[in-house]
Amino acid sequence: MPRTLGRILIYTALILWTIIALFPIFWTFSTTFKVAKDVQLGHIIPWVDFKPSWLGLRAIGLSPDTIFTESTPRAEFIKRFWNSIQASIGASILALILGSMAAYGLSRYSYHWKIWKNRDISFFFLSQLILPPVVLAMPFLVLYKELALLDSMIGLILIYTLSVLPIVIWIMKDQFDTIPQELEQAALVDGCSIWGAFFRIILPIALPGMVAAFILSVILCWNEYFFAALLTSSYAKTLPVMVASQTGSQGISWWSMAALSSAAILPLIIIGIFLERYIVKGLTTGSVK
Amino acid sequence: MASVEIVDVRKSYGDQAVIHGVSIAISNGEFVALVGPSGCGKSTLLRMIAGLEEITGGDVKIGDKVVNGLPPKDRDIAMVFQNYALYPHKTVAENMGFALKLRKTPKAEIDQRVKRAAEILDLMPYLNRYPRQLSGGQRQRVAMGRAIVRAPQVFLFDEPLSNLDAKLRVQMRAEIKELHQRLKTTTVYVTHDQVEAMTMADRIVVLHDGIVEQIGTPLELYDRPNNLFVAGFIGSPAMNMFKGTIRAGAHPHFETADGTRLPLASAPAGSDGLAAIYGIRPEHLTLGGDLKPTVTVIEPTGSETQVIAKLAGEKIIGVFRERVNVKPGESVAMSPDLSLVHLFDAKTGNRIS
Repeated sequence: MPRTLGRILIYTALILWTIIALFPIFWTFSTTFKVAKDVQLGHIIPWVDFKPSWLGLRAIGLSPDTIFTESTPRAEFIKRFWNSIQASIGASILALILGSMAAYGLSRYSYHWKIWKNRDISFFFLSQLILPPVVLAMPFLVLYKELALLDSMIGLILIYTLSVLPIVIWIMKDQFDTIPQELEQAALVDGCSIWGAFFRIILPIALPGMVAAFILSVILCWNEYFFAALLTSSYAKTLPVMVASQTGSQGISWWSMAALSSAAILPLIIIGIFLERYIVKGLTTGSVK
Repeated sequence: MASVEIVDVRKSYGDQAVIHGVSIAISNGEFVALVGPSGCGKSTLLRMIAGLEEITGGDVKIGDKVVNGLPPKDRDIAMVFQNYALYPHKTVAENMGFALKLRKTPKAEIDQRVKRAAEILDLMPYLNRYPRQLSGGQRQRVAMGRAIVRAPQVFLFDEPLSNLDAKLRVQMRAEIKELHQRLKTTTVYVTHDQVEAMTMADRIVVLHDGIVEQIGTPLELYDRPNNLFVAGFIGSPAMNMFKGTIRAGAHPHFETADGTRLPLASAPAGSDGLAAIYGIRPEHLTLGGDLKPTVTVIEPTGSETQVIAKLAGEKIIGVFRERVNVKPGESVAMSPDLSLVHLFDAKTGNRIS
């Protein structure tokens, strides 16, 4: 009996937590279909509390009656969505290439420069995470202005690469550390060059970690708001900035903001559902056992 | 196949010298074991032959060519690692054929050579499996297979058996030896286990603190150890040793600090009064005689009985084929085989012949 009771308690707690975790997502999605009155009155359950309307989706040109017509908001939305994809995927690929090589170096070679050694270099990379981005705001603004990188896709990709690099290096170093050095040595003896051993032997083994690092950095870049708001204006603006700009002089357009948020969350939910096991695998298991 | 010559090789990490001028000549087809306690530099030496470790001074020659500056891939060597170092994302067949694939060998030939090696090593049923699906012994065989498909000039083994359990180790020991007799490839084998070195090698190099203590066939090392280190390292259980003084004269003998007399056949010329170490192997003691050590432990193994006792304040171990009917605390009479007593200079540790 106490076992059954224990189970009931555990499942009750789990269900409760699931509701708490999923509620914001549900609220965002359902708000897409609300009019101003429903939002203000706090109506929650569709068809019971309120009658769903296409208002939110119509605002970005994605409702059934507008989807086949010309729509400026939709073109705008697709442009921002595409920008977000370019910035997050581009930066993640770049960070993965640079970060893997840096991590490999830190894991396999001993560097000395004056009093600094590998540990200090690793800490230097990680310490970038301690720095609040606000500190970098002014310098980057000035720098980007001089380099004509303001409001450019390349500029955005570069700063995102910089901001996720520490995490990529951290994950990949962890991953390389679990691969015995004898594997490369065996490859060297078998006839590989150092680069050959890295690409043919080490990279395939480190793949789970790379996938995890890639997904994490895509998520981080996708959600990034601060630098996007600071360094872009019209051309390279990303989805989070567009979501935030839905607060205008006539108040907040909840429905269109919710519609945009839903569209912004959707890719992350898909990643979460289908790729979560790769993240866990990459972050928890060593490669060779 | 090729000879390997190591000429006055040195290695230091920064100011720390770990190998102080080692010279070893290994002839074509020979099986040489590098043996010594951990930290003696044996693995470093092997890795220098492989090209995985830079050489600080001296020359390594494979064939007649100095290979100091050559990367491992250009040395035509194959190496078996302690943890096998199998590529986890490749099947057994791919692991074994990887080196050939890198050399752009035609696929048909790779298949044929992998198959032949797999037959020799009993790996045919496992060719399509991944290393994680194999037992320790099978992985060990794959690692060897990877080495033999290449038919390299030299095989290098770095403690290949130390991750296996005792029974498998004995079995693989015989297999490696058999493989060597069949392929006759020059082999350098690193181990810390003197039994492994004794049973497998044509010649043994005993290393200690980065210098060569002695090079010789297993029985040379056993019969005539050059110094105290080799005497203590080779043989199991280890040689019994007593400190004391050589007394020449009409009745030559060896006297320990507490006055116990150990018999000698003869005292070496001019050694009267010399402070020395008296060594006798446990298996060269026979029951009955003048020595009366006090038994502390009796360890019967069936085929033989090991008696651990105390003599002149030192531990003395005797191994006898006969059954020994004494109890701990009693004394047992034993005597050394006088022709097999070893004497070493107490100061230098070197053999007095």
